[in-house]
Formats: sequence, structure tokens, C-alpha cells
Amino acid sequence: METNNDTLQKKIPSTKLSRGRVAGKAMLKIGVVSGKGAVKRAFMSKEDKEASKSDTHAEIAKVIIDSLGELKGVSVKIAQQIALGLPFLPQEYLDEISKSFNSIPPINKALIRKIIKQELQGYPQNVFDTFDNNAFGAASLGQVHKATLEGKELAVKVQYPGIATSIESDLSVINFALKRFAKGQNIDHLMKEVEQRLTEEVDYELEAGNTKFYAEHLKHELIVVPTVMEALSSKSVLTSTFLEGEGFEAFLKANPSQEVRNHYAQLIFDSFFMGLYRLKMIHADPNPGNFIFMADKRLGMIDFGCVKKVEESFLKDFSKLHVLLIDKASDEEVTEQYANVNMVDRGDKADMLTFYQSTIKPLDRIYIEIFEEEKFDFKKNADFSQRGFNTIMEVQKSQRHALHKMNADYLFIDRTLLGYYNIFEKMEATIDTRFAQRLVREGM
Amino acid sequence: MKVSKSAKEKTKEKILEEAVNLIIEKGFKNASMREMAKNAGVSNPTIYNYFSTKEKIVFAYVEQKHKETAEILQGIEDFHTYSLREQLQTLIETELELYLEDREFILQISDMVFQSGGLKLDALYGNNEVFTDMVADMLSIAIEAEEIPRPPFEEHLPRLFWDYYIMVVAYWLKDDSEMFDNTTQFIDHSLGVVEALLQSSILNKANDLGMFLFKRHLLGALNKFSVKKTGFSKMKRKLRGVLDGDE
Repeated sequence: METNNDTLQKKIPSTKLSRGRVAGKAMLKIGVVSGKGAVKRAFMSKEDKEASKSDTHAEIAKVIIDSLGELKGVSVKIAQQIALGLPFLPQEYLDEISKSFNSIPPINKALIRKIIKQELQGYPQNVFDTFDNNAFGAASLGQVHKATLEGKELAVKVQYPGIATSIESDLSVINFALKRFAKGQNIDHLMKEVEQRLTEEVDYELEAGNTKFYAEHLKHELIVVPTVMEALSSKSVLTSTFLEGEGFEAFLKANPSQEVRNHYAQLIFDSFFMGLYRLKMIHADPNPGNFIFMADKRLGMIDFGCVKKVEESFLKDFSKLHVLLIDKASDEEVTEQYANVNMVDRGDKADMLTFYQSTIKPLDRIYIEIFEEEKFDFKKNADFSQRGFNTIMEVQKSQRHALHKMNADYLFIDRTLLGYYNIFEKMEATIDTRFAQRLVREGM
Repeated sequence: MKVSKSAKEKTKEKILEEAVNLIIEKGFKNASMREMAKNAGVSNPTIYNYFSTKEKIVFAYVEQKHKETAEILQGIEDFHTYSLREQLQTLIETELELYLEDREFILQISDMVFQSGGLKLDALYGNNEVFTDMVADMLSIAIEAEEIPRPPFEEHLPRLFWDYYIMVVAYWLKDDSEMFDNTTQFIDHSLGVVEALLQSSILNKANDLGMFLFKRHLLGALNKFSVKKTGFSKMKRKLRGVLDGDE
């Protein structure tokens, strides 16, 4: 985790009116940028046109994110969610969006004091033995402070007041802005998903429950989940044991050996598959900041605010589909199973097969490519997540013309998985996929 | 027998507490001094040794809260590491926190000040020294530490801040958000503005501009139009003296 002082210091526009205005300002700027691109393009060769288009996209992306950054608060989180959920946005947008990771609204000393007093019925210095007023890290919709109590080192996550109530107004602004870019795409389901995720994410009590669940059920001797201190937690304050270690950036900067990188990537990889198949719950925020690289080869997992439960019956069909794919079953069998997970509409068998072969098939690779050999080298396949996101984007684009609606859960898991793979690409790690494949078969 | 000061203070606090409770229960108008005395366990004449009128009880309450706030702020070990804005914010948040218990009482006072006019806001200024002294302290330290440039009218800022504080209290009284989250945000954002103003040189520049216009144009105009020696020109002379710095 890293602090982000620049953003800590900026102010948040508070009223819906001012938020609307910021978004309005962004719309205005976008109009100008798009127009500029169009004029320039008229005099250009085809290649130059492509390049110019890409420039324009990048500029627009910057404008959107600038305005999201100004909106702050919830919007940062929304930007992250959109990065995951809107693959039809050009990559430039996603790049800009992911830059906003770890930005949070500022909570100064006066506010910290007030929030702790209000939530834990005592001032920080009375509740804890020591309490560091300066945040050491950014967290989802808040910031994290170090404290000690009875010799224990603690991490106290504090949420900016009133954030929960601003979700709705923030979303309506974003919804308005995005509709223009979605160009006919139905983004309602996405916005609903985002709203639900956010509402869950601001509820620290829910997160405390998730953290406890992971701590109890994710049995792995090298994966550490913090212990929640219930007496020192509330809806907007979450206190847990502090995990000592390095953040992702610091870890990579120290130039660890291939062996060490493989080791930690393996742990992250296994934690995802164990979560999905054993806990039936995925840590759905593939932000490298959520992992702590601890001493003694241990991996710390933090921030369980964005966790998604997976239905048992869906998981069974989901596993069966992938086992069929791994075992190279016939297209007919695979199509039937895709229908079971609601990715292909039932109807005429030949039509179903055509739809699978023409539209859905590219998705197969995302899930099973890593299982083709015992090991998968993300250094050699450094574009894997990129290809995957592009595939999902293509598939979703083709969905536009059909009445059919694909299973959003399915795509959500795929996208989350790709988010994880992006971490491994950055780590240039090689991963042993045999254990995960066993879990897939177990899940049937 | 002479009553020791601490016992006297205790009695005063007891009377205050009972008076506030009674006013919450019966309203300011219907709460009698007699009943307050009875509830506080003092004789009817004794209460007048402490407070000659009911209004004075309100003033004393406000002063009391300022003192409690000052004590709490003094108890914050690392208060000196707070920025000016954080210090001011803590001051306001602490006062509000103390008010929370007596919110209904504050509501009544607010109504009397803003609606019925039964209480003059100005009258409260006299009991504000503790508050304004705290603000003046924070300001002068911030100036000394070069956290902010020396603002014009420095000596008036604490009183101005008190007016701002009254506005915050008025907002708080109307706030129906959960845990008064809106007030917390209102304070946070508005103090952001106060901070930006104090840190920038806008106040000084605006003051310079005003002074320039006044000296160059308004004073000149005054000279032109006042032919006769009147009280007015006497005032003008005095003003010029002040402006030229030869008081």
C-alpha cells in the first residue's frame, strides 16, 4: 500500500450540484477533444487516422478520469469497477482509470479524532495505546492508520463520513456520463452491479465478516489473513491486526529472483482458485495493493471489501464446462454446457452450435489456456490479460446485435481472473496450474 | 462561613445543569428560577447570587462549554502538530460534541436568537473570550510558524470565526442526516475554504486594492465635495491620519 499525498490534499466537491457541474465540465471538454480529432483526421492517411483516433481516445480518457478524480470519494472506486466491467471502453480509458487505484478522499487529524470518537466511543489516544494520526495507506474509500494496543500492532481503517449516502448521487452522475460513451450498449446491469459492490464495500461490518470467513476457511499455511478486532470496529471503522511486509511496488523494485516471484505469484493464484472452488467466494478486487509480501515466504491478503459469493449450482456447471474444455470435448457437448451456465440461449440445436462457434468460442481460451501444460509462463505470455479483455470486449460487442443476454456472473469471474493474470504478467512469473486444475475437477 | 471557590464552582455547575434540563423540559419561558433552584438543591435567593437573570444562565452555559472545550484541546498531546485548519476543525467538532447532549436546549436558544428575537446574539459576544482567545492563539501561532501570511484585520478574525461557528451550529440544528454526517462534511469543506483563504494572499491583496482605491479616489472625491468645514471633514482628517500612519 502506498499513500498518495497529492490526492490526499485535494478537496471533494460535496453537493450533488457541484458534482453534476464537474461532470458537465467534463462533457464540455470531451466535445472539444472529439471535434479536434475529427478535423485533424480529415486530412490524414489511413494509418495516421488510426493513430490520431488513439490519441483522441487517450485525451478523452484523461478528461473522464480528471473529472472522476475531481468527484473523488466513491468515484475512484467506481472508476476501478468500470475498468473491470466495461471492456468495450477503449484501452486508453482503462489505463487512465486504473491510474486512479489507491486514490482516496482526505481525512485530516480533526476528522480522524471525530470519527474514532463517534464510532468507538473514545478519542484515539484513549482507545489505543498509540495511534498514528498520519495514514500509512489508502484503502477502499478510506485510509488506514497504524495503532498499537496491548503490544499488538493494528491497522485501523477509517471511512470518510457520509460516503455511503453519496453513492447514489455519484452513480447517477457517472451513469449520465457513461451513457454517451456506451453508444447503445446496455450499461444498466453494470451500474447495478457497481452500486451493489459499492454499497457492500462501504459497509465495514460486512467486510469484517468476510475477513473472518476467509481467515477461518482459507486453509493455507503460507497465506495470512488479518484478525479482525471486533470490539474496535464499526460500520465505518475496521480494526485488524497489522501485517508487516512489502507492498507490490516495493516488492518488485527490490528485484526479487525468479524463484521468489514464482513463489508469491503461485500463492496469489492458488488463493483465487481456493476461494472460488472451496469458499465459493472470490476476492473480486484484483488490485496488487491487496497483497502483502511478508517475511518467511508468507503472503498477506487484505481488504475484503470487494468479495463476491458464487452460487453452488452455478459453480458446478461452471466447473463442468471447463473440465469439458480441458478434456477437449466435442463442440456439441460444450455448447450444451454453455447453455447450462446461461451463456447460450436454448433453442434449435444447430442455432445454438452456430452461436457458440461464431461468438462464444473465443472465451474458451481465457479459462483453459493456462491448463494446457503443467506450468504457465506469464513472462512469455505477457499479453494474455490484454488478449482476454479484448476477447470479452469483442464478445460483448457482438451481443449488442442479439436479443440474448449473457450471464453477467460468468463474465465477471472471467474479468476478475484476467485482473489477477495481469498481476502475474507484471511479476513475470511462471505458475504451476496443476493444483488449480484439481480444484476445477473437484468443483464438478 | 466562607464557601470555598471549588464548592462555589460546583454549585454553579449544578445549577447550570438543572437549569438546562428544566428548560429542555418546559421551554425557556416556562422554566422558573424558583424551580431551577429547587432542582439544584439551593435556596430560592441563593440562585440569584449566581445568576441574576435566566438569560445569564444561557450565557454561562455557552461559556462553560467553551471552557470544557479548551480543557479537552489542551489534553491533546500532539495538538501542536495539527495544521491551523485541523486545530480549528477540532475546536468546532469538540464544541458540537459537547452540545450534543443538550441539543434540544441549543435548539431553543437558536429559536430565541433567530426567530422570536427573545435573545440578542450580540449579548453572547461578551462571554466568548475563551473561544476567541483560543482562535486568536491558533492564528498567531500559525502566523509565527509561517503557516499562513499575516492576514489583515487579524484582531477581528477570531470574532469572525465565531460568526462562522454560529452558522455551523445553525446548520447542525437543521441537519437530519445520520450521525449528522452532513454537518461533519459541511465543516470539513467550509474549513477547506477558510484554510485556502488564509493560506493565499487574497485577503492581503484585496485589502491592498481597497486601500489604494480608497486613498486615491474616495479621499480625493471627499476633498472635492466638502467645501465647508464640517464635522465630516474632521472625520476625513482623522481618517487620513490613520491611513498615513500618523495616528
